[in-house]
Amino acid sequence: MSTYKLYYFNGRGRAEIARLIFAAAGEKVEDIRYEGSKWPSYKSKIPLGQMPVLEVDGVKLPQSMAIARFLAKQFDLAGKDNFEQAKVDAVVDTSIDLALKYVPIHFEKDEEKKKNRYEQILLNGASFFVGKQLTWADLEVYDMLDIIIRINGDILQAYPCLQHHRQEVEKQPKIAVYLKSRPATFF
Amino acid sequence: MSSYRLHYFNGRGRAEVSRLIFAAVGQKFEDIRYEQNEWPTHQARMPLGEMPVLEYEGFKIPQSLTIARFLAKQFQLAGRDNFEQAKVDAIIDTISELALSLATISREKDEAKKQEGMRKLFTEEVPYHLQHLELLGKSYGIGGPFFVGNHLTWADLYFYDATENLLRINGTVLNRFPWLILNRQEIERQPKISAYLKSRPQTLF
Repeated sequence: MSTYKLYYFNGRGRAEIARLIFAAAGEKVEDIRYEGSKWPSYKSKIPLGQMPVLEVDGVKLPQSMAIARFLAKQFDLAGKDNFEQAKVDAVVDTSIDLALKYVPIHFEKDEEKKKNRYEQILLNGASFFVGKQLTWADLEVYDMLDIIIRINGDILQAYPCLQHHRQEVEKQPKIAVYLKSRPATFF
Repeated sequence: MSSYRLHYFNGRGRAEVSRLIFAAVGQKFEDIRYEQNEWPTHQARMPLGEMPVLEYEGFKIPQSLTIARFLAKQFQLAGRDNFEQAKVDAIIDTISELALSLATISREKDEAKKQEGMRKLFTEEVPYHLQHLELLGKSYGIGGPFFVGNHLTWADLYFYDATENLLRINGTVLNRFPWLILNRQEIERQPKISAYLKSRPQTLF
């Protein structure tokens, strides 16, 4: 049985997807959060001087998406076989494209296209993106849209399927508990 | 009809890493290339209106790195277990940050801004990421020339591809990174890859 430590700042940011995966799987993690002021003194101990970093049985792994994908596979939240995993990855990559464009906090016409595609994938009434059960694609989309909704609360008005999707994710018992209990942070 | 059909423009771009994976394992595939003026008529048939797209057993998969990762796993070039795959993924993500910065600056239309952007990229960001990659290669490569686990993975192929573009702009960019230079040489030496590099179409991008 592996032990996990997750190092990040005190915020959701690039670590939240990993935390959501631990929560959804009911797995334990030491959730280490550095305040901005403490970070410089720890920076040299981390492989690439960047966070998040996941420590698995003493070995440190960088890169938020590599970490998330690894954990999802460890806990069977990645898709049942290589092909399903590819579908999950495609959803995650598209979600990242959306998030990258949001860094300047504008809402470009382009984003309509991306959200339309998400809607299309879900439109057959499915609650989850891939394989009729929760995968980390659902958690990643949930997390990414969370960022956008905090900036513009009305953004999903025209996307009932995405709204339904969010409700499905939030209803998952372990996730519901996690969402109530996680620290409320600015980012 | 081949099980694998790869759709992209007539260039290396975001499809080349997948072509390198096919080449490395000697897997046949349909290498479909669209000229810019042909693309609009085909665009609506792609899941996200973008390329590359891999058609596999009738299903279209978008997103260049998703495609590459899927193929790498199909052909045992992804890493031998989940943890090794995570190390490979960490390297892929680091390379991807570098590739994205280069792509963004390359698209800048204002010539003065582009020059300044390139200058900054090559003096700051490029060495920053290359340093990380050299560090990861030495750490995960357990003393061999490959990035992870002393055997070829798609991390080596993606690194080769991404640095090709950098070297075409500035041939000295790897000079301070001897491990990375040796890694590239090792990849070029692999017989199937060497044959592919000699025979592939020569394109601008």
